[in-house]
Amino acid sequence: MEQAPEYVIEMLHITKIFPGIKANDDITLQLKKGEIHALLGENGAGKSTLMSVLFGLYQPEEGIIKKDGKEVKINNPNDATALHIGMVHQHFKLIDVFTVLDNIILGAEDTKLGFLQKKEARKKVKELSERYGLHVDLDAKIEDITVGMQQRVEILKMLYRDNEILIFDEPTAVLTPQEIEELMAIMRGLVKEGKSILFISHKLNEIMEVSDRVSVLRKGKYIGTVNTKDTTKEELSSMMVGRPVQLVVDKDEAKPAEPILKVENLTVPSKLHKNNAVKNVTFTAHAGEITCIAGIDGNGQTELVYALSGLEKASGGKITLCGKDITKASIRQRSLTGMSHIPEDRHKHGLVLDFTLEQNMVLQRYYEKDFQKGGFIKFGAVREYANKLIEQFDIRSGQGPITIARSMSGGNQQKAIVAREIDRNLPLIIAVQPTRGLDVGAIEFIHKRLVEERDAGKAVLLVSLELEEVMSLSDRILVMYEGEIVGELDPKKTTVQELGLYMAGAKRDGKEKEEQA
Amino acid sequence: MSEFLKKNGTRSVLATIISILVGLIAGSILILIVGLSSSEIGLSGAWEGIRLILAGTFSTGRSASGALSFGFNPQIIGNMLFRAVPLILCGLSVALAYKTGLFNIGASGQYLAGTCATLYVALSIPAGILPQFVVWILAFLAGVLAGALWGAIPGLLKAYLNINEVLACIMTNWIAANLVTWMFDISNLKNMVEGTKTGYIYKTTYGLVNLDGAWTYKDGLGVATPKLGLNKIFPGSQANAGILIAIVIAVAVYIILTKTTFGYELKACGANRHAARYAGIKDKRSIVLSMAIAGALAGSAAALYYLSGNTELYWSVYQKLPAEGFNGIAVAMLASCNPIACIFTGLFMSAIDLHGLQLANLTAYNEYITDVIIAVIVYLSAFSLLIKTWLSGRKKTAAPKPAKENKANPGKGVAE
Repeated sequence: MEQAPEYVIEMLHITKIFPGIKANDDITLQLKKGEIHALLGENGAGKSTLMSVLFGLYQPEEGIIKKDGKEVKINNPNDATALHIGMVHQHFKLIDVFTVLDNIILGAEDTKLGFLQKKEARKKVKELSERYGLHVDLDAKIEDITVGMQQRVEILKMLYRDNEILIFDEPTAVLTPQEIEELMAIMRGLVKEGKSILFISHKLNEIMEVSDRVSVLRKGKYIGTVNTKDTTKEELSSMMVGRPVQLVVDKDEAKPAEPILKVENLTVPSKLHKNNAVKNVTFTAHAGEITCIAGIDGNGQTELVYALSGLEKASGGKITLCGKDITKASIRQRSLTGMSHIPEDRHKHGLVLDFTLEQNMVLQRYYEKDFQKGGFIKFGAVREYANKLIEQFDIRSGQGPITIARSMSGGNQQKAIVAREIDRNLPLIIAVQPTRGLDVGAIEFIHKRLVEERDAGKAVLLVSLELEEVMSLSDRILVMYEGEIVGELDPKKTTVQELGLYMAGAKRDGKEKEEQA
Repeated sequence: MSEFLKKNGTRSVLATIISILVGLIAGSILILIVGLSSSEIGLSGAWEGIRLILAGTFSTGRSASGALSFGFNPQIIGNMLFRAVPLILCGLSVALAYKTGLFNIGASGQYLAGTCATLYVALSIPAGILPQFVVWILAFLAGVLAGALWGAIPGLLKAYLNINEVLACIMTNWIAANLVTWMFDISNLKNMVEGTKTGYIYKTTYGLVNLDGAWTYKDGLGVATPKLGLNKIFPGSQANAGILIAIVIAVAVYIILTKTTFGYELKACGANRHAARYAGIKDKRSIVLSMAIAGALAGSAAALYYLSGNTELYWSVYQKLPAEGFNGIAVAMLASCNPIACIFTGLFMSAIDLHGLQLANLTAYNEYITDVIIAVIVYLSAFSLLIKTWLSGRKKTAAPKPAKENKANPGKGVAE
């Protein structure tokens, strides 16, 4: 056996069963050395489970794993690490109260006489972060940095460990278009250095752009593997969903009506730095219109939404919802005045993960007459309502309404939140990255629902980091940069490039910036 | 949902029973070792000890021939019921807090606050001014309220200043100990009537009366929890209506936690404060209320214990923290923080305590053996999750479908 085996990792006939669900059903995946291999599939198709099996988090009921042609047993992540398999998880595995540097070296600390050698670690991390353009503040605590930066920490963690086989689980879900470009370049660079990449995604554009081969899963089953250059987006999406999918949003002209949300000179202090996160922001969201706040992650969108929803206090300005001044109103009052809110962080705000799905479905409505009588919850009504939403929104889970939310896949968790918020039927829907981490089928569905809500006369305030979504879904784009609204654009009259310039702060309404950010 | 709970519930119950059995076995082994190493006790003495530890509730003393006799002993069973009252209520206090994401280690302090308020009210209202049952209710409510206030303090600190409730509870415990000492020190409630006793506070059966212009206490004029015929079923025992009140409260706590929107809010807040806030639930209010209710439960434990009429508080310059508060943690953990299960674990803990007393009365052993048993049980009950996982692992081999172990999320709470 002189010749090196063609495949660096082979997963042969893997089957993994959870209660009520066959997450992986006889799946075979073969990764060539030095290739970028995309793993494509809808949420709940079993991608994450398959990767968890490879990473030793789950033991498969059937099937074997081969490394360099030899069968290996991976019982836990340590075994995987020993085989130089590294993974950036979809939900980050970081310790919130540790610094970035501590998180990167955790588990792979260099010590001398039992003392940490942080200086050298710092040097190595710095070098890596510069080489790959992964900018992080090494001394910031994880809880204080943005989701985007947390992702970069995860990637650095993997690079720090000199891994050969790199698994990226939905790595671009939280990145800006520019960052995605950079990541693609990094991935190509890594492959040139002889590393092999497994790239889990359901974003067809990225897969078409960066991968060499694609394996498709659907509902736990292996559909097939194709060479990227021999296929099309359309073919991949129908392989993934099992039917042809509409890839662009189909919508009529918006008919903006009366203003629903009026924001005047809103200012919100930042928790990260001394400056204001939101500076003197003024805009209006009209009924029958999808207004989009675009911008790169961390430019004040989060704080703006917190101030609108009441999660944080604004330090100045006025917010009017449906004609009522809600600047000082409580969260519940705002909600009752007519605001539903699909939050940015589904685990922090969107769901009580240890509650069941049905308990989460009534999180915003448990106090309403339909669901309680004299303070006693009407369990029958709750179950019925949950079942209705599960059916309408095709929320898949192991045990239906009694599934613990924590055990559901990310996409289905998101669908549950979207279902809950849209079904409240309120005049304003604030949707923050509503399709984050979702697959084409689900994105198509949620986009369709949001357009339907618009057509039904709702005001939709969309906050999105994804250019494609911004361009295709919104009727009016407001670009946020460093806490200010720097431009108002009409998606039909602008280009992605122009939008990108606004987002990067290189251009703004009224004046052109000379220096590029 | 009921089916799922049933499955999970069965496993919880099994885990608890395993904990208890191992604890009893450990205690028995200890008795055997102590017995065999003592010339005084020997193997036969050890065998007696083991039998008492396992079935002391049914011990009727020794027969004429000197052998241990067993049977229905109304006095012990009645006493077991009575002593279970504060254990059940303190257990509920810990369990409710735990279910709402808080660890109430301050039940002892809340219990002391309740003790103080109950005794003050019961002994300060002159006899005859109000009907006795009104005085009883006022004294009971005073205890509940004092406990609630004492519990609210760590709740407020947690909600508004984000101070860990465990830390605050430990401090409020000792503040309560010293405050209560001082409160009784400056009071006229120390028993002066029975000359042989020093440092005891009057029983609540004493009433304040004015004899020839001087205020004094007379036994029989005060208040006591009604017996409701329990003294007829269990003659010679301390059993009274307290146990029924405790059971009613346990059921009420269960209903509040599982059936009401209020309980939903408290639990949501405990499970994910951010999500609760997002949904418009007042998270700070919920935390304070959780701790206040937990405190109220501990306060009611004290009120029912001291209002029985046959218990008296030993007052000393160095007030210790009452064991009921800490045993409440054991009761709650053993019950997986299920309010209904707290009734049974409270009764069990009370029984084990009495077995210890029987052991000390009838044999050369002392009652501290039971502390070892309780310690082992509590220790194991903390591992109940582990035992549960082990049980579900056993099922895996039997059933075709394996139970999913939540490997992605290790380190979850002990009594989920």
